Amino acid sequence: MVLSEAYLVIGGPQGSGLETSAQVLTVAFASRGYGVVANREYHSNIMGRHSYVVFTVNSRRLVGHLSAPFHVAAFMDAESVFTHFEEVSKGSIFVYDRDVEATPLEKVVSMEPARRARVERRLRELGVEPTVGGVVEHLRSRGVRVAGLSFRGILERLQSRYQVPRGRLRRFTSAIVAGAVAGALGLDAAALEEGFRYRFRRREHLVEPNVYTAMLAAEEVRGQAGSIDLEPGSLELGEALVVTGNEAVAIGKVIAGVRFQSYYPITPAQDESFYLEEHELLDAGGERLGSVVVLQTEDELAAIAAAIGAALTGARAATATSGPGYDLMVEGLSWAGISEVPVVVTLYQRGGPSTGMPTRGSQEDLLASLFAGHGEFPRIVLSSGDHEEALRDAVTAANLAEKYQLPVIHLLDKFLANTVKMIELPDPAGMRVERGVWEEEPGPDYRRFRLDAPTHPISPRAPLGGAVMWYTGVEHDEYGHVSEDPEMRMKMMEKRMEKLSLADREIPERGERAVLYPGGEKPSSIEMLILGWGSVKPVVLEAVERLRREGVAAAYLHLRYFQPFPARYVYALVKGVKEHGGKVVAVEHSYRAQASMVVEMNTGLIVPYKVVKYTGRPIYLHELLEALREIHAGKTGRVVLRFGE
Amino acid sequence: MESRAVEQGGAPPPAGRGARRPEDYRTPLWVDWCPGCGNFGILTALTQAFAELGLEPRRTVVVSGIGCSGKTPHYIYANGVHTLHGRAIPFATGIKLANPGLTVLVVGGDGDLLGIGAGHFVALGRRNLDITVIMHNNQVYGLTKGQASPTLPYGVKTKALPKPNIQDMVNPIALALASGYTFVARGYALDVKGLKELIKQAIRHRGAAFIDVLQPCVTYNDVYTVQFYRRALYRLEDDPDWDPLVRSPEEAPEKMARAVAKSMEWGERIPYGVFYVDPTKPSFEERLEKRLPGYLDQPPALQRVEQAGKPTVTREHLRRIFGEKIVQVNPARRGRR
Ligand SMILES: Cc1ncc(C[n+]2csc(CCOP(=O)(O)OP(=O)(O)O)c2C)c(N)n1
Ligand code: SF4
Ligand SMILES: [Mg+2]
Repeated sequence: MVLSEAYLVIGGPQGSGLETSAQVLTVAFASRGYGVVANREYHSNIMGRHSYVVFTVNSRRLVGHLSAPFHVAAFMDAESVFTHFEEVSKGSIFVYDRDVEATPLEKVVSMEPARRARVERRLRELGVEPTVGGVVEHLRSRGVRVAGLSFRGILERLQSRYQVPRGRLRRFTSAIVAGAVAGALGLDAAALEEGFRYRFRRREHLVEPNVYTAMLAAEEVRGQAGSIDLEPGSLELGEALVVTGNEAVAIGKVIAGVRFQSYYPITPAQDESFYLEEHELLDAGGERLGSVVVLQTEDELAAIAAAIGAALTGARAATATSGPGYDLMVEGLSWAGISEVPVVVTLYQRGGPSTGMPTRGSQEDLLASLFAGHGEFPRIVLSSGDHEEALRDAVTAANLAEKYQLPVIHLLDKFLANTVKMIELPDPAGMRVERGVWEEEPGPDYRRFRLDAPTHPISPRAPLGGAVMWYTGVEHDEYGHVSEDPEMRMKMMEKRMEKLSLADREIPERGERAVLYPGGEKPSSIEMLILGWGSVKPVVLEAVERLRREGVAAAYLHLRYFQPFPARYVYALVKGVKEHGGKVVAVEHSYRAQASMVVEMNTGLIVPYKVVKYTGRPIYLHELLEALREIHAGKTGRVVLRFGE
Repeated sequence: MESRAVEQGGAPPPAGRGARRPEDYRTPLWVDWCPGCGNFGILTALTQAFAELGLEPRRTVVVSGIGCSGKTPHYIYANGVHTLHGRAIPFATGIKLANPGLTVLVVGGDGDLLGIGAGHFVALGRRNLDITVIMHNNQVYGLTKGQASPTLPYGVKTKALPKPNIQDMVNPIALALASGYTFVARGYALDVKGLKELIKQAIRHRGAAFIDVLQPCVTYNDVYTVQFYRRALYRLEDDPDWDPLVRSPEEAPEKMARAVAKSMEWGERIPYGVFYVDPTKPSFEERLEKRLPGYLDQPPALQRVEQAGKPTVTREHLRRIFGEKIVQVNPARRGRR
């Protein structure tokens, strides 16, 4: 059977070059016209702990979802073999390092005790000897096509051909893994070369020995296990961007005109700021577009304060963080609220509470993003479902912040941040930069918080440096001077809160704040309405498509804005679906299904069905489909997903 | 319009184009500090310094934290940003970096700058960004009614404290020096003329400047009173051998060591004046300009990012800036074996 879509996994210890393999493969597939996405799973550790990358490759279209069982698995070490051996099935190709065949489970010291106990129990149940060799035999007996490569042998050959210093040989393990996958899926040397070129852009000399090593592995795999018949890639994009979510947002910020970004390092947000800093010169081949000031602050209290300060001067300013940093930023958020400052907080959710699971994904901070901060003030909270959305929303967030003069929280998560995806090269000409209302010629009597402006409740802005004005976190009068007068308090409170009503009137609900897939679907014809947000989008869309093929009239309502919430539209849709006997199901990465709570709060309608996952691992298509089928069949109301190590 | 402005505390009568007077830098707001508070002296010194330097109110930003001292910007006719408790420095940092052409000052309490905001205080020194920090040092938390601040020595009991202070004081001068401030001085709120001169020097100095201003709090501090300071204070400049200026980077360690030693004097005799000035260290803006040529002319606040409602960045720009992330997709050359 010829496949149009394949699922792959590669694994190895952290710090061993797995990321290189992933990048090389992603680019190799992209360059051959495949849609490709790669999600990275890793521990909060620099070296030694198990990490793995899961891919989906599609020959016909851009993709974003993941699924299992994997058609191809290629592993660097014993721990990966023990950890993932049950994630392949009959006909899959399973590549491992023959040199570690004798390694017993108990010698894998980096494995966490809980996992070791689980694997041990499972091997006992299956009657499998707890060694790499035992596991491999078991797989073979189940019809898995196993290829045992001698990594040492391949590296020896590399050594004798290119005289690579012995101490550096292990760095080529990443090429073995990339080559193994290429061999299993019939990718050629030229495609791999593109991948290595992308990876070693400034170290060209590494390309040739890497390709050589990879091809040795590829041939060996083909010899031992054959290959999987994957359709040739047929995407005619001409050129594509291959970026992580962090990078997509950074590019979006550059387009948006964000020229000041402050941050304090935190996973999984820091790579965005790093990437911005790398390109701070905005050097478009001789033509300078200005520059971005990226400031690493002493903490997140300072990060948001500095971003606010920059915004007061008229610069477009943002900061990026994750849960623990966001907690610290809350005092600044409240200040930006009362002082009507356009500032963007890009919030990458990771597993909480507290330090929680720093390198794992979650959607646990939705309620915090909406409600954290004392007092009442308007804010806009929007979220993005994939790389394309994230890039555009970085522009939108900056626009909304300035248009309504308030803090905007752009919600993303670790899944999206670290996932490498192939997307079309965006065209800024199709985007807007809206800088809001400005006082053209502010005089000496300029009132920053003017209450009688024609644009009320928006007071025309002037930058610090362009007029004299006052700001204060204390309740204030039109000039920004302290005022505790009850009438002034009412006017200012109403002015601020009315901005949210204005945003609610101006930002389209349907298509912008919430998007229904398939587009024109009527509530009466929807059997199952799935509610989701953020990075569940690609996998839910895929599930909807499959369910529809199975005859279930499923639809997906992708919630993008949580403030102002598209209450009227969601109300009508959910009510309509329920009235016609359809089921409404929330799919989310949190224990409580937080978005469903927000829907309930805003519409008064209950979301009765829930599929949740809080392991910190992404939702896979196969487990989601199973859960939705069960709900459709009336077997259960709440499914907790758990696939993935 | 004019009378309304005055009523609501906005602009003072429009200042003439020519020389400015200290009064031109005052808003008509009623100042709500306790009568006799040392803050009045600091306010007067600030407006006098502004007038003598001829600062343009639009181009000047006074950033404060929270406390009695935090109210200062509202009384000054120049841009005022009254921020969060402890955060005046990072707000000011964002303002200065985004528009380095502005003159930026921070005024804050001792609790604000050395308690809740101590991390930021240190960070500003490390950056040597061109900001002047003026600390209202009254050894107490004035606005919350007299608790001990980080500058109150161990064992001292001011009148609002139920028990003598159980924590040690921090030495602000030594901390500023250790953090990297390149202008470090101590002033006295009641020596307005001397303080005005220090403020002028600090503003003119390129780099992070710190003035520890001893400020009697007449309501809560009955230990560090006007009478006390009158007895204890002496001027550094009265010593003809006192030379705080670093003339070349090599001189810095020795000059700093002397300044630190001097700063240890706290008790019967308290020195004030300029402890240390190092104009040789590059400011943060200068370091940035090196990394981002053109930054000073086109800082974040002055860059044009929009043209007729569209981004100024085009697709072609993206290709050039982010080219390394672009992959040529070539299914035709597919290489399946
Ligand atoms: C986060 C936070 N915690 C506590 C307070 C309450 N608070 C207001 S002023 C102040 C102390 C001010 O002392 P200092 O900084 O020395 O200024 P002073 O009033 O003495 O000028 C405190 C603790 C606050 N505003 N914010
Ligand atoms: S409490 Fe002290 S510092 Fe505050 S205004 Fe009164 S005298 Fe001044
Ligand atoms: Mg104080």
